[in-house]
This record gives sequence, C-alpha cells and structure tokens, in this order.
Amino acid sequence: MQMIAIEFNLNGILVKAEVNPGVRLIDFLRDEYGLTGTKEGCGIGECGACTIILDGKAVNSCLILACQIDGKEILTIEGLANSGELHRLQENFLKKGAVQCGFCTPGMIISAYSLLLLNPNPAEQEIREAIAGNLCRCTGYKQIISAIEESIVVNIEND
Amino acid sequence: MKNYDIHQHVQGKSIFIDDMRLPAGTLHAEIFTSNIAHGIITSIDTSAALASKGVVDIFSASDIPGENQVGGMIKDESLFAESEVHYVGQPILLVVAESKLEARKALSKIKIEYDKLKPILNPREAFIKGSLIAPPVTFELGNISAVWDECDFIEEGTVESGGQEHLYLETQAAAAIPHEGEKIKVYSSTQAPTATQRVVAGILGIPMNKVEVDVLRLGGGFGGKEDQASPFAAMAALAANKLNKPVKLVLNRQDDIRITGKRHPYSSDFKIGFSHEGKILAYEVKFFQNAGAAADLSMAVLERTLFHCTNSYFIPNVKATGISCKTNVPPNTAFRGFGGPQAMFVIESAIKKISEKLDVPAYMIQQKNLLREGDEFPYGQRAENCNAKKSWNEALSKFKYEERLQSINQFNLENKFLKKGIAVMPICFGISFTSTFMNQASALVHIYTDGSIGISTAAVEMGQGVNTKIRQIAAKIFSVDISIVKIESTNTTRNANSSPTAASSGADLNGKATELACLNIKERLLNSAKEILNADLSEIKIENGSIFVNEEKKLDWEELISKSFLKRVNLSSHAYYATPKIYFDKSKSKGNAFAYHVYGTAVVETTLDCLRGTYKINSVKAVHDFGESFSKTIDLGQAEGAIIQGIGWMTMEEICHDLNGRLLSNALSTYKIPDIHFTPDEFEVHFLEGAKNPMGIFNSKAIGEPPFMYGIGAYFAILDSMKAHNKNLDYDFKAPMTPERVLLTLSKNIKTKIHK
Ligand code: FES
Ligand code: FES
Repeated sequence: MQMIAIEFNLNGILVKAEVNPGVRLIDFLRDEYGLTGTKEGCGIGECGACTIILDGKAVNSCLILACQIDGKEILTIEGLANSGELHRLQENFLKKGAVQCGFCTPGMIISAYSLLLLNPNPAEQEIREAIAGNLCRCTGYKQIISAIEESIVVNIEND
Repeated sequence: MKNYDIHQHVQGKSIFIDDMRLPAGTLHAEIFTSNIAHGIITSIDTSAALASKGVVDIFSASDIPGENQVGGMIKDESLFAESEVHYVGQPILLVVAESKLEARKALSKIKIEYDKLKPILNPREAFIKGSLIAPPVTFELGNISAVWDECDFIEEGTVESGGQEHLYLETQAAAAIPHEGEKIKVYSSTQAPTATQRVVAGILGIPMNKVEVDVLRLGGGFGGKEDQASPFAAMAALAANKLNKPVKLVLNRQDDIRITGKRHPYSSDFKIGFSHEGKILAYEVKFFQNAGAAADLSMAVLERTLFHCTNSYFIPNVKATGISCKTNVPPNTAFRGFGGPQAMFVIESAIKKISEKLDVPAYMIQQKNLLREGDEFPYGQRAENCNAKKSWNEALSKFKYEERLQSINQFNLENKFLKKGIAVMPICFGISFTSTFMNQASALVHIYTDGSIGISTAAVEMGQGVNTKIRQIAAKIFSVDISIVKIESTNTTRNANSSPTAASSGADLNGKATELACLNIKERLLNSAKEILNADLSEIKIENGSIFVNEEKKLDWEELISKSFLKRVNLSSHAYYATPKIYFDKSKSKGNAFAYHVYGTAVVETTLDCLRGTYKINSVKAVHDFGESFSKTIDLGQAEGAIIQGIGWMTMEEICHDLNGRLLSNALSTYKIPDIHFTPDEFEVHFLEGAKNPMGIFNSKAIGEPPFMYGIGAYFAILDSMKAHNKNLDYDFKAPMTPERVLLTLSKNIKTKIHK
C-alpha cells in the first residue's frame, strides 16, 4: 500500500511521518509514539476514551485516520502537563476523587480541557453537554462535574 | 485520602495491558467464535486463513497439551469448542499473527459449517426441559405451609429482571511471555490471579509453579473479570508456549460483549402472606436463574440470591428456592451484587403488591417489616449491630420524606403529563464470600534498608482504591508518611493461593493481612529500638517517622531501619488472615455465613414524561452504613458509582437477543450505560453515624457492592410516576424499565380505557 507523508504538531513538537492510509489515528499515536494515554474503549465513537484535541477541538481518535492530520495540531493527555506541572484540571480530578480505575480519565480530562478552551466559564449544563460523549463505568460522574467546576473558579482567579 | 494510582491516571501514564511495552516480535491473537447458539460443527477449513498474510498459526482444542477445561466450580466449560457449540460467541479457534489487523483479516477467511440445533434461551423453558446446571437449592425459615391460613391476605406474582453487561472500560486482555524451563509469565486483566494461574496451568498441562500471573491494575472489573479473565489468559499462554514467543490478546469491545457472560437474568415467582396491618408473615419465592451455557459462578451467585431474598426485612416464615438453568447464551457470571440485587428486586415487588392490596404507600409496609437486632435471617444467622431501622429513620427524617411526598402530590395535581414519583430503598447485604474457605488473604511487607516500604497483597486494584487503603493501613501502623509506602503488582509468586478480589472483601481481607504483617515488623522494630537506645519498651514510641524515648526524639525512621538491619532484624513479614467465626453448612443451608452486614436506605425521586415515556432521575439521597470509613473520598466514590450502575441496570441497560440467540445489543451503540446526563441533579450519600464495625479493618465496612442495590429504588420511583398518571395501571414487574417499556405499559392501559 502507498504510504502517505504527513507533517503535524504533536504535543508542541513538529513531526514528520509516513503513514499507511488505513491506520486509525488512535493506533498511530499509541503504536508509533507510545502515547498510550489515549485509550480504546469502544472503537466506534461512543465512549470518548480516545479523545484528543485536534486543532483546538476534542475529537474521537478512533474515528479519524492518521493521514487526516496532515498540517494539523494534536494534543494528547501526555501533552497537557506543562514541564511536569499538572494542569489544573488534572489537579482537580485528583483532588475531587474524580478518578477510579482511570481508564476513562485521559479522555475525560481532554474533553473538559477542550470545553474550557472554547468556554472558560461553563454552566453545569454546559459541562454535562461537553462530557456527554465520555463514558465512565466507575464513578457516578458527580466528582467529575465538580472537578471541572473547580477548574473554572481557579481560571477566573488567575485572569 | 485518594486513590493511589490516580497521579499516573490523570497524566495518561498508567499502564494497562494494551499499553505495555512488550518485547519486539510479540504476536497478536484474535478469537474465532461460533455464530450460532447451538449446533454441531461439521467442518472447519482454516487453509485460507493460514495462508493469509502475517498469520503464524491457528490453534484449536486439539492443540491443548493439558485439559481443555476452564470451569472453576464445575468442570463443564471448554476453552475451545470441540464439536458442539453452545452459544453465539463461544471460542472455537485462536488465530495468531504478526499484527492484530492481520489476525483480524484472517478470521474472515475461516470457513465453518454446522448442523444447527434448537437453542434454549429462556430459563423457564430450560427448567421444563430439565436443562439445569445443578440441582435446586432451598433456604427455609419457620414453617411456611402452616402459616398461609393465618394470613389475612395472600398475593402472588412474577418478576423478571434482565442481564447487564459489565462494560468495564478496559476490555479483557492478557499478554503471555515464555520463559526458560517451560515457565510462562502471564499479564492478565484478572480479578483472580490464582484462578487464572490454575486455568493456565491446566490448559498447558504444567504445574502451577511454572505459571506466574502478574496484575498491575484493571480498567474496571465489577465481577466480569473474576472468572472470565482466565480463558483469555490461557489462550495467550497456549500460543506463547507453543510458538515460544510473546503473545498478546486484547479483545475489542464487540468481541468482549459477545463472548463474555453478564449479570444473570432472573425470572421469579413469589407468593406473600400478610396481615391487615401489612405485617409480612410468609414469603415463598422461586428463582429461575438464566445461567447460560456453563456453570461459571452461577451456583454461588444463586446462593447469594437466596441469602438476600428477604433484603432488610424480617419475615418469620420463608421458603426460597433457586434453580440454575442452563441455556444457550454465554455463561453468565459475577457482577456487583452477585445475585443479591435480583433477589431484592423480587421482595420489593412483592411489597409493592401488598401496598396496592392494602392501599397504603409501600414505604409503610417496608417500615413495618424492617429487621431488628437479633432477628433471624433465612439462613439462620441473626442480625447483629443491625442498622436497618437506624438508617431508615435517619434517611426519612434527613430527606424530609413526608414533606417531599406532599410536594410530589401537589406537583402531580398540577401537571397532567409530567408526573413525579418517589420510592424508598433499604438494603441489607452480607459481607464475606459465602464459600467460607475463600475468606482468606495474605500480605507480604518489606522494609528496605533506606526505610522505604513495599507491600504485596492478593488484592487487585481495579479502581476501587484498595491499594490506597492498604497504603494507609501501613502508614498508620508504622506512623510514617504515606509517600514512602509503595504497593507492588499482584503476583502469584509473592502471594499464592489467593481468593479473587471480589465480594467487596478486598480491603477487609487484604487490609487485615497487611495490618498483621506490619504489626509483626513493628514489634521487632520496637525491640530493636529498645536495644539500640537502651531504653524501656514502654518508653519508646514511633511517631511521624521519628523514634522517641519519653517524648524525646532519638532516631529517624531511616536510622532505625538501617541500624536494625545491621543488627540482623528481619525487616520483612508475610502474614495471613482468615475471617474468624464464619461458617456455612451447605447441606442444611444454615450458618453464620457473613462476618457482618451492611445497611442503608436511599430515597429516589423521578419525573416522567407520560407522553414520551422518558424520565429523569431527579434525586438520589442515601444514608449509608460505611462503618467508620477511613477513606471517605474513595468510599463515597464507590457508593456513587455503584448507585449509578444499579440505576442503569434497572432502567436503561437492556440486553437483547434475537430468536436465534444472537446478541443484538452487541456494541456501545446499541447497549447504553449511564452517561453524565443521567447523574441526578441531587445526588447525596451520607455517612451513617455511630456504625463502628469491629469485624472490618479499622472498624470500617466493605463498600463495593451494597450501594448498587439502591438503584432498585429508581424502578419503583418510575413506577410511582406511572401510577400517578394512571392509578389503576396494569403492569408487570419487569426490569429494565426502559422508556419504551414505560410507554408501552402506559399506552396498553390507554387502549383498555378506550375499549371500555
Ligand atoms: S474508543 Fe473512540 S470513542 Fe470509544
Ligand atoms: S474511572 Fe473507570 S471508567 Fe471512569
């Protein structure tokens, strides 16, 4: 099969690669770059465990082909902490007990991050809308909502 | 204190099996399964698949060097089907290739033919045809046949509850790596490392000491990886062993849902006798359990159904019979609550019937029959430190039940098509494996010469926070900072012959074993300090990482450890714990089966759109008996997660098969679990005060399963909403109460009205 050359920004670093046109983005990130924080929970766009940020928007990486990211910017959970310092969402997920088995957590945090990028001060209903595509089988979502809410307050104070 | 792993989790750094860096040359496996529910295989042709690019080998039953057997309780389940297939999704072959994609592609090239047989899908049909897993079991209290005549009323009914897919977010997974001397190391996403080790050894025909099973963490288990992780580990091990190469097997979601068993669906008949005042005098119940095609843990699940058939009520005369029926669906298995929820749904339905007969609200009947101290359960144990009434009273007053009833009535008067409903759900759940021998655990504690501590136990971390609890226990006993305590993976070479992490008992059993091991070492350390400091034992104290003599600091923790090491003090301990005072005589169905019981009461409120059948769970509030929790964040998280899962089972999670036994709800697009919209606006779990539990670690109580059963309240709250719309509603006790079922029930009633 003809390989396709792509260039993209991965967690702040410009990379070049040759990809098989049939490879899903999730597999590409996991297998080629060892970015295993992006998880596969369903493979059909229903669980959100594979959520990443593509040009500023949260997308399911199981539904995208690697060759589609040419020229784009990708942020995965591994790129969220700033030189070892956790992002406030990560801190608040820890603080609020929003994490149990952790399998849904990267996708959950990335979706929340994307929400706060687009809407720095979301109401609870908007948080629910933004996270509706991310399933968690362990928690009752309550602590996830409060972790995200807590992250808003911090944001306002910083501004 | 929060879950220990989570620092890694929030950064995406935690390693699950699919994330492991395996050696170069690792092969990938995919499973070829039956696509009919019952039949005889007449031919299999794998030649095209074998010739397919990247395929290394294909394994079948005939390649198994040991015994083709994975059954735990009964040896009735093969790893690969030999000639007869018993359910859609039953493994037949394992395809191993250089990549997952190549293995997947080869699957479609396998040709198979069957002589089809008629499948049995319904447990009652299985019962009639004599297709049983084991003989029926009965629990009896009092003398049921003598009291029917004394009852003012007798009501009868049928109750159906559906299955439930575990949907642990991490699917079943294993990786096997061959080692020298025919040894094999298996990384498995299993709740039961020892069971997995036993199954792998049996399949390979080698002794257990040549199989090492290692578990770092699970992305959720909920019972689904108690008995059903082992076959996948065995498949990977079989291929790795034969090919002498690492082999990884990670199921995709559709395969996982199709192949693995679920919560047992039940169909049950009850007969309940009671007085004018609503006092229950007699309860007879028969549970038809849909076990699926093999025993798995079905008999143990059924037994717990019988244990919990009266929930948190005292009924003086009980006869409960459980029948495990063999059908042509995947073997159903453990799932949070382990048969208890199914039993409680039936007794709550029976109480609903009583309330309708007497025309009083159900909560009055519930309240009148609550367990009191010293009351006897149908299995002979008596309620001790009974918190049934206490949690009930506290819940009803704290949540202002009567006031809410009034405001709901008012709302319903003012709204024609939106109706609110409310229900109270008390629970009582026994803690201990009901197979007494399983109530044992061990812990291995090392203090290294720099003072850092490493602990291995038999507990598997799957999100329930057991590792954090164990760290807390050690940190507290040694009085050191928790950051120097590390929990190792769960590994069969460090903790042998372990019970699965199940029955909510992981923290109790392994925590107690850890406590014992830490106390052993602490005693040695105190004696060592006595010699080093030339002081009296009574004067020495270890506190906050320092060693004091008469309140004067003499040594750091690290100094004490290094000095003790030079004095040749043993800084390791392996301790063992077995729950005392429990026993159960299976031949009589009597005994002190449980170390203790967990109690609690929840109030659930719903709003129903009677035109659409859609509903909203507005409020869930519970007063729960946590004992004295020493990990409040973790315990609350467990309670909330369990409640949502329980509500999911009762409302939206529907397993559907077609008439040929093919699973229709086989993906996350067709099988829906609660998402964030589902979380009630008001969601509160309160700690019952003064519930000290001497049988639990640091006086706490087990938390994993009990709150699941509050979810049953959602069913009855929705039913209450429906009855607010039509007081004389004709309905069946059938869960899940999906919006479709609500709508069909409501519209069925409308039709009858028009006809009249
Ligand atoms: S794996 Fe992509 S949405 Fe589930
Ligand atoms: S924490 Fe386990 S799935 Fe969300």
